[in-house]
Amino acid sequence: MCQVEEEYHGPLLREELPSVSRQCVKCKEASAAVVIRAGDAYCRGCFKEYFIHKFRAMLGKNRLIFPGEKVLLAVSGGPSSCSMLSQVQEGLSQNAHKKLRFLPGIVYIDEGGAVGQSVEHRQRTVEELRAVFRATGFPFLMVPLEQVLDLPSSVVLSAPGAPEQEAGAYKAAVDHFLLSDGSSGVTAGQQQETPPPEVQEAHTHSLQRLLGSARTLTAREELLNILRQHLLVHTARSAGYSKVMLGDSCTRLAVKLLSSISLGRGAQLAHDTGFSDSRYGDTILVRPMRDYSAKEIAYYNRMFSVPSVFTAGLDTKTADKSSIQHLTESFVIKLQANFPSTVSTIYRTSEKLQSCKGSASAGRDRCLLCVCALDTAAENASAFSATLISEQLSQTKSPEESRQAPEWTAPASQCCSIVRGELCGNRGRGCCSSAKASEPPPLRSLLCYSCQLTIKDMSSEEVLPQYILSEAETRLRRSQLREEIRDFLLEDEADEG
Amino acid sequence: MAAPVAIHLEFGGGAELLFNGVKDHHVTLPSQPDPWDVKQLLVWIQQNLLKERPELFVQGDSVRPGILVLINDADWELMGELEYQLQDQDNVVFISTLHGG
Amino acid sequence: MPVLCSSCGDKRAVLKRPKTGHSLCKACFFWAFEEEVHQTIVTANLFKHGEIVGIAASGGKDSTVLAHVMKLLNERFNYGLELMLLSVDEGISGYRDDSLETVKRNQQQYELPLKIVSYEELYGWTMDAIVKQVGRKNNCTFCGVFRRQALDRGALMLKVDKICTGHNADDIAETVVMNVLRGDIARLRRCTAISTSSEGDGVVPRCKPLKYAYEKEIVLYAYFKKLDYFSTECIYSPNAYRGHARTFLKDLESVRPSSIMDIIHSGENLSVRDGVKMPVQGTCQRCGYISSQSLCKSCVLLEGLNRGLPKLGIGKHHRLHDKILTQQPLTEKEERKLKAVHF
Repeated sequence: MCQVEEEYHGPLLREELPSVSRQCVKCKEASAAVVIRAGDAYCRGCFKEYFIHKFRAMLGKNRLIFPGEKVLLAVSGGPSSCSMLSQVQEGLSQNAHKKLRFLPGIVYIDEGGAVGQSVEHRQRTVEELRAVFRATGFPFLMVPLEQVLDLPSSVVLSAPGAPEQEAGAYKAAVDHFLLSDGSSGVTAGQQQETPPPEVQEAHTHSLQRLLGSARTLTAREELLNILRQHLLVHTARSAGYSKVMLGDSCTRLAVKLLSSISLGRGAQLAHDTGFSDSRYGDTILVRPMRDYSAKEIAYYNRMFSVPSVFTAGLDTKTADKSSIQHLTESFVIKLQANFPSTVSTIYRTSEKLQSCKGSASAGRDRCLLCVCALDTAAENASAFSATLISEQLSQTKSPEESRQAPEWTAPASQCCSIVRGELCGNRGRGCCSSAKASEPPPLRSLLCYSCQLTIKDMSSEEVLPQYILSEAETRLRRSQLREEIRDFLLEDEADEG
Repeated sequence: MAAPVAIHLEFGGGAELLFNGVKDHHVTLPSQPDPWDVKQLLVWIQQNLLKERPELFVQGDSVRPGILVLINDADWELMGELEYQLQDQDNVVFISTLHGG
Repeated sequence: MPVLCSSCGDKRAVLKRPKTGHSLCKACFFWAFEEEVHQTIVTANLFKHGEIVGIAASGGKDSTVLAHVMKLLNERFNYGLELMLLSVDEGISGYRDDSLETVKRNQQQYELPLKIVSYEELYGWTMDAIVKQVGRKNNCTFCGVFRRQALDRGALMLKVDKICTGHNADDIAETVVMNVLRGDIARLRRCTAISTSSEGDGVVPRCKPLKYAYEKEIVLYAYFKKLDYFSTECIYSPNAYRGHARTFLKDLESVRPSSIMDIIHSGENLSVRDGVKMPVQGTCQRCGYISSQSLCKSCVLLEGLNRGLPKLGIGKHHRLHDKILTQQPLTEKEERKLKAVHF
């Protein structure tokens, strides 16, 4: 329908195709080699300078990576994370203009088992990447995703992080670093040639069973994202890295923002798409590639021979409508082809968001899977409570059906007290017909709205890895205990439940 | 060999505009080796009834998202959707949800 | 084998609910649908006893179902509301004149008073005349802006306390997606609100009782209840960009039917960072209507039409507002830019 409430800012115009200028817009001398945005044609040299500058500027602006800090680069083999790796190398090299001063290491999560690749195939990919990583001189870890099955429950807890840094802390740290020994320690350790850990076939099977229990590709992808992130954070924690760099490009983040919204992750958007993601507390995820479009990265990698290794994902070669994530991606990419500002416009929204209001305390008030603050307090008149009401109404008999039971009244509740009689025309029955919606099954109550959807798409919760199940048990026991002693608690404490 | 099936097709909610504004169609699907299912019916409609802009009615081998289908007054999602085998005297309704508010 | 109703377990189910995946028979569906709208009204505290409520009626499916359900619930639960139908005649021959006939029939069927306000009487322009001047590219902008104000003016004439509109869950979800695509953070933040409080003089509070009702269920409710509604697309080309969002949404729904609600949940839980600039709401210096500029959109558009410079209100020409207010002529260069719309 037409939107009654809207005034348009004016239509979104297709940008006119610029006449391709032959000269670089920057140096105005060399002939242009790459068109970044409509109208911006750069020559090879200026493009390189611009690309490199952007990486430093992103890190410089956010002042989050401290000198001497150990930073783990999560490299998937894809163009964006490989480009990130090359930028870190570039920034640490002796002749860099504004030298980066952190200590990098690399981690590659081998997901071949999840997508059903043969052992030989996986080994080949690992070997190719090993060659790339070895050339950097940085220490690196090759971790098969199967290891996620052996994680400790502490992964899904948000550990208390470093106290909020004061304004001057970054500068002080830089000065301190320069005074002490700014020259030594380029890397977070020596490269060690450890053989890749053996992957037991049984583990691969468990992993496949776990992902296979998701009836939809949408849920499978969500599950895989969650497992990957847990493994990354655990790897970082156990090797003493306090930051993890992810290679999400601007294009990737625009798609992620819209698909997160479609998956009901509005409350978690800032974590999912922002520059830094502190949901794990002590280990912070950062996205330094967020200003680059996929196109820029592809051009750069090609022109300056940045190696990358193709690895298939769950949705490779599937139809557009196979999953919400995949559908969103093809939607954004198609729209971008017609309206060239699509990606950058969506992406800018990600800069204007913050994580969930009332930032939940560290620990157990967070989603068991994605570790974000829970967004499932069924407030009155919310989409969440409306769905619960629908669920209940779709399972209870309508009054016409249960006419024999005239005592059918409101279950002790809610609505009358809320409206304070202002509008409560109930004569005996009706108004409060379904105030208390059905309780979700236990494990689900520990999840955020979106992860509940994921679990709903699974045929069984039992196949979840042990570290998740045992943490779930602990939390459920605690909340049960809290329920039992509720009467003995002081008022203000009882409120938090 | 399946016998011909006589069915009643109804288009509403604006979907009728693609069929010259005609809402009701009594049609007989010819005899063919296999029984008629909804998937084949959509192809038949496209070839025999649809007057304009087929992309507004079908997409792939199903109806365009946003068009509701009722078979004998029940949501086709309850009837097996494309696989439902048509019976003589069935009533199939297509309602567009995409028009007006 | 027929599927049985998951509610009564007895009768044949007639629909699968997109929100929850349950299957319901006709009677249980009617009851659940109405009960849910009632729950929305009660929990969101949309109305007060004794209020006069204008139902924005276009003759389309949403407003027809809204009028039907509002009347029914008002009686069933004794809301004590005085209901009226409020329609806007945009002056589109072959479209609105036909749909208004539907509204007039509804008026008799539901025995509710009806007020029709027309663009012609309010602005001196029908949409037909506007399209003649501006072409078909931007006419939806005029229509949308004028309608919002027209409903308020109509509401004031009828002295209603509130207006309720037929926006359904799909509409809200679509608006969330649109605002993300436009990067409009201010609207993104407020577009999931179920009601607007009075924003100033001349603006009547609005609410959306069908906010959590799926379009699919609204259409099926109308179909099974045999409600009389009008379903023709506006003859002036609709907003193409919005069309993309609509298609995307319908595709999402077919992948995961709960997506519509999931998007609304997202919208309701978004949190905008402190310090992000938001437009400041003020009032129009010409007509007193709410506006974040010195002139409201409606006045600028109208000025453009009356001066024969239709592009005045399209895009951003804020710096010209002072000239318009003081009735100064524009320079030749400015005029040339704003004249006919050729793309």
